[in-house]
Amino acid sequence: MTATISDPAPLAGDLAQDLRRRLAVVLPVVRDEARMLDESASFPARNLAALRESGLLGLLVPADFGGLGGDLTDLVAVAASLAGECLSTGMIWAMHCQQVAAVVAHGSPSLRERLLPRIAAGDVYIASVTSEKGKGGHLLTAQAALRHAGGMLEIERDAPIVTGGQDADGFLITMRDSPGAPPHAVSMVYADRADLVISSSGSWNPMGMRGTHSVALRLAGRVDEDNLVGGPGEFRTVAVSTFAPVGHIAWAACWLGAARAAVRGVLELLRSPAGRRQFDLHSDLLRTRLARIRLDLDTVAAMLAQCLRDIAAAPDLEAVPVQLRINGLKVLAAERSFAVVDALTEIAGLRHGYLRDAPLALERVFRDLRSASLNYANDRLLLANGALALLDRGVSIAC
Amino acid sequence: MTYSAIDPAFEAILRRRLSYLPQDEVLRPDDSLKDLGLDSMQAVELIFDIEDELGVVLPDELMTAQTFATAASLGAALAAASDQISAGTS
Repeated sequence: MTATISDPAPLAGDLAQDLRRRLAVVLPVVRDEARMLDESASFPARNLAALRESGLLGLLVPADFGGLGGDLTDLVAVAASLAGECLSTGMIWAMHCQQVAAVVAHGSPSLRERLLPRIAAGDVYIASVTSEKGKGGHLLTAQAALRHAGGMLEIERDAPIVTGGQDADGFLITMRDSPGAPPHAVSMVYADRADLVISSSGSWNPMGMRGTHSVALRLAGRVDEDNLVGGPGEFRTVAVSTFAPVGHIAWAACWLGAARAAVRGVLELLRSPAGRRQFDLHSDLLRTRLARIRLDLDTVAAMLAQCLRDIAAAPDLEAVPVQLRINGLKVLAAERSFAVVDALTEIAGLRHGYLRDAPLALERVFRDLRSASLNYANDRLLLANGALALLDRGVSIAC
Repeated sequence: MTYSAIDPAFEAILRRRLSYLPQDEVLRPDDSLKDLGLDSMQAVELIFDIEDELGVVLPDELMTAQTFATAASLGAALAAASDQISAGTS
């Protein structure tokens, strides 16, 4: 039996099992496409079609709107599974969920009613438009300004890099709230592809994450004023309470999932009859390397679990210790997931770890995970955390 | 295949990891393997020996203290795993 969007939303207790059933349909497709996507640096169109059909685009859409009503724990489980087959596909899906979370939490009633059922039905895949030339990747500032005119918002926006930009059905766009507003008065607005004239440019030939097919876009069009997500000029609230935490959780889950799948592959190899002949499982060096690898996975998983608890329970996500952990999660997951695959390469050696056509595909995951520290740069988050750490003289850590 | 009466090949493999069991003493099916010297590190080596020499692979979910409690419990787990293998290949 295949999971389809016509299935009724599951009861809460059944959701984990329901998600496994839906994933069981999607994962073989993703597995099948991964190598081709990496070679061609093309967008995972077949994977997106399977995700649309599975209902998983609506994971975070409340059941009232026809979605699966999942939470961030469900997001982590699904993202890690998808990323274990193809990190590009996992990130595309996870970033879509990040956009959905913002609409669910901060969209106007009218936007939620118009948009969320379409997402749940698999009709709308949302891309994120936050990058802008000249602002250095800062999330909380913008240059290009919205124009408010007769209850409508006019959008004219250049974005140097939009993941999935050529294939998205809708866009969440950050812009300066008005031509007279300061750069930090950022608004977030939703636009359907149909509301926009879109031109894309640039080529896409990166080291890794090649399936995320990111392009430069120029977007122009008009949308209803109630397409604002969060108040005018108040994207900061959306970012701090939803967009950044969900983004960091989603990225960390993807990177951890990719690293875990790589470890699984190497363990299968080591324990296989052929592997037993090739590798000395009694080697102290092998065993201490495996111990470090496992410790890295467990550490990232523990930090991820703590951040999920923080988000579920913390009265104030702006509290310094919580901000430190949510930023720290992104940094830690990026560094250690890559370190895990680097160490696996050392264990597996040239034939299994370095050749592009080796069945383990460690080489692809290595290139993919090299992007993790650069994707919203670790250096920027470390600078922020260094400043925040000075404020927490009591050093209030989680336990 | 059954290991319930302690198959000689299985016993030979097992005895290597039981440092407190003298060569001339009988290994009974219900003796505590832990008391005879099978700690968790020795259990890992035992698993590799079993895979190499008996060709039986225990699934991860059977890697429990219960499985490694006695020769009888470990033998039962190996019998179940090898039955699954033959059922899967028949």
